[in-house]
Amino acid sequence: MGAATQLAHGATAASTVQLVLVGAPNVGKSALFGRLTGIYAVVSNYPGTSVEVTRGTLTAGGRRVEVVDTPGMYSMLPVSEEERVARASLLVGTHTVIHVVDASHLERSLPLTLQLLSLGQPVVVACNLLDEARAAGRAPDLALLSGRLGVPVVGTVATTGEGVDELMAEALAAPPPADGWALPEPFSSMVSRVGTDGLVAELALSGDPEIECEVRESLPGPWDEARAARDARWAGAEPFAVAVAVARRRMAVALLDGVLPAAGGGVLQEGGRWARALDRLVLSPWSGFLVVGLVLYLGFYKFVGGLGAGTAVDWIDRVMFGRFLGPAADALARSAIPWPVVRDLVTGPYGLLSLGLRYAFAIVLPIVTAFFLVFALLEDSGYLPRLALLLDRALKRLGLSGRAVIPLVLGFGCNTMATLVTRTLESRRERLIATLLLALAIPCSAQLGVVLGILSVWPAAVVVWALELDLVFLTVGRLAAVLLPGESPSFYLELPRLRWPQPLNVLRKTSTRVRWYFAEILPLFLLASVLLWAGDLTGLLQRATGLLEPLVRLVGLPAGAAPAFLYGFFRRDFGAAGLYELAHKGLLTPASLTTAAITITLFVPCIAQFLMMKRERGLKVAAAVLVVATVVAFAVGGLVGWLLRAVGGWA
Amino acid sequence: MKCTMCGSAAGCDGCPIGADFFVARSLASLAAGQRATIRRLAARTPADLRKLLALGLLPGVELVVERHWPAVVLRLDCSCVALDATLADGVLVSLAA
Repeated sequence: MGAATQLAHGATAASTVQLVLVGAPNVGKSALFGRLTGIYAVVSNYPGTSVEVTRGTLTAGGRRVEVVDTPGMYSMLPVSEEERVARASLLVGTHTVIHVVDASHLERSLPLTLQLLSLGQPVVVACNLLDEARAAGRAPDLALLSGRLGVPVVGTVATTGEGVDELMAEALAAPPPADGWALPEPFSSMVSRVGTDGLVAELALSGDPEIECEVRESLPGPWDEARAARDARWAGAEPFAVAVAVARRRMAVALLDGVLPAAGGGVLQEGGRWARALDRLVLSPWSGFLVVGLVLYLGFYKFVGGLGAGTAVDWIDRVMFGRFLGPAADALARSAIPWPVVRDLVTGPYGLLSLGLRYAFAIVLPIVTAFFLVFALLEDSGYLPRLALLLDRALKRLGLSGRAVIPLVLGFGCNTMATLVTRTLESRRERLIATLLLALAIPCSAQLGVVLGILSVWPAAVVVWALELDLVFLTVGRLAAVLLPGESPSFYLELPRLRWPQPLNVLRKTSTRVRWYFAEILPLFLLASVLLWAGDLTGLLQRATGLLEPLVRLVGLPAGAAPAFLYGFFRRDFGAAGLYELAHKGLLTPASLTTAAITITLFVPCIAQFLMMKRERGLKVAAAVLVVATVVAFAVGGLVGWLLRAVGGWA
Repeated sequence: MKCTMCGSAAGCDGCPIGADFFVARSLASLAAGQRATIRRLAARTPADLRKLLALGLLPGVELVVERHWPAVVLRLDCSCVALDATLADGVLVSLAA
């Protein structure tokens, strides 16, 4: 299956069968997608990690099959942007729906199955995580459930591949469902008044803004009449939505009678003893923050900072590039390329190899890989949702909710990726605040590693730098929360069980993210090399550096730091790496170094992040963030530099 | 929350007319370890209501409160969900006997 698989983003040809995977977050949709297609999207233990629809095509049974993986959704009444994305892929076109459910949580999932059945498209239920349900003694009677629903129900274990072939076969053969899953009275007659598709009418009457608007425009007369009838009976959209949900739940409970073993504990079954003790540890006030501190220290400071940014960078940069690859390339270039100008493009000060590839592989790769590895470990263990819960109250003060923990922490890896992930946040206001904080006060891992590397000579400088970043983060967040209009967000989250991270999952997530990252940055590094080389050749670089020099002096830095800021516009980590060189040559004092580290951390985000901000938030917001970041960077940098020189001992 | 019949806010055991009245408490007021049944949803906004529905918090559903800090953590339908005080305030429950 895997050999015939490839990523495809185009429209679906008429002869292609389309299978759409839907289901709640955390039930193994993406893992199942990987099994079906051989493509691994970032599988995660946290809602919001598949923020986009992923497609894969393969050939099965002589037909072209397109499999679509959607972001997690709980019901057809969406709360977040990602759920809207998932729903949109269901309401348009013809396809077979594969509803992926957690075999241990059927009560939660079956109401959505019933909604999907009323779409009129073929439906197959994939009862995933069957191994966990078996282990808990809660394996459902799949044949009985399938008979009652009238659609295939296949037990699967995405992690081992159990049931995946059967699922594919059933999905390709599934007929459209028989009618009979309409809502009971009085809902069905209420819904039929609207005169459109049953589910669409139900969603409109339940107050879904998007669909209500569509129905009101296309069927104004019947809609007004149906709405009046709804209000007479239920006094508004919300009571109607609740009543419908209760009715569906009753249908689901009736369907499950006898399907689930009548094990002790019932619906309020408790988790394992260890898992509960661990939960208490990570969520209690004192021990919880102690664990956060430990994770930060061991995972990020020691592993990413020490091993990734220290040992690994040192070895790859100094030994591999410095001693072997660099000299070898130099020798090769000298003998093979007779023209010095062209030779410079490869191995000169701004060469593709000596600058672009070297920075990408020797400095950025080890740090980013180490960071994504730690992030994947935290993610797969189920710790991230608990961290979100723990920090919810604090983040509320900044106009965010606990959910923002994911993009903010991810930002320490790659701000561009994190900006994309802010779309899992619920309101425009939250997304805006998170985007601003990411652009300004969250250094990405490459930057972090290099900055910490430079400053490690003066531990006091690290403290000043970290304190100032925290201060900017809190001040800007608080200001944004107070100044930006809009309601403060409310926080809700399903907590997955804590578990040991699965090595295969962790490796897969790490490699998917590292690959995404490199696909984004390597072209930029190479482009930056070429531009700098061309600028150097034509004298434009000197002129641009000259223009920046007054600004750089304003912050109290030597003029030699100007090129670092210029690189910084291409990649923030690139700029930081430029400073690294300066520090190595001993051109910077503690005060100027601290100032430089602060300014470059706060300074204009890299081009990739700017483009992502423009894509996700629009040009106006992206430009505004750019201006704010520049002003804050130089203002704070200048202020701190002035203070440090005043203190003495730093100059 | 007041009784729709007599206006009492405290609740009367053995209500003479058998009105659909219960000693209403918000989910936010429960202590860890208490069991309750959801009776009514009174969310602040439609968006908040949709969040409650997404979590499976529906009238008639039984739940156990696991934690009260840093947010309300509860167990229902074999899953574990967390919601902040604002959302929990919009869930009216009656304690299990």
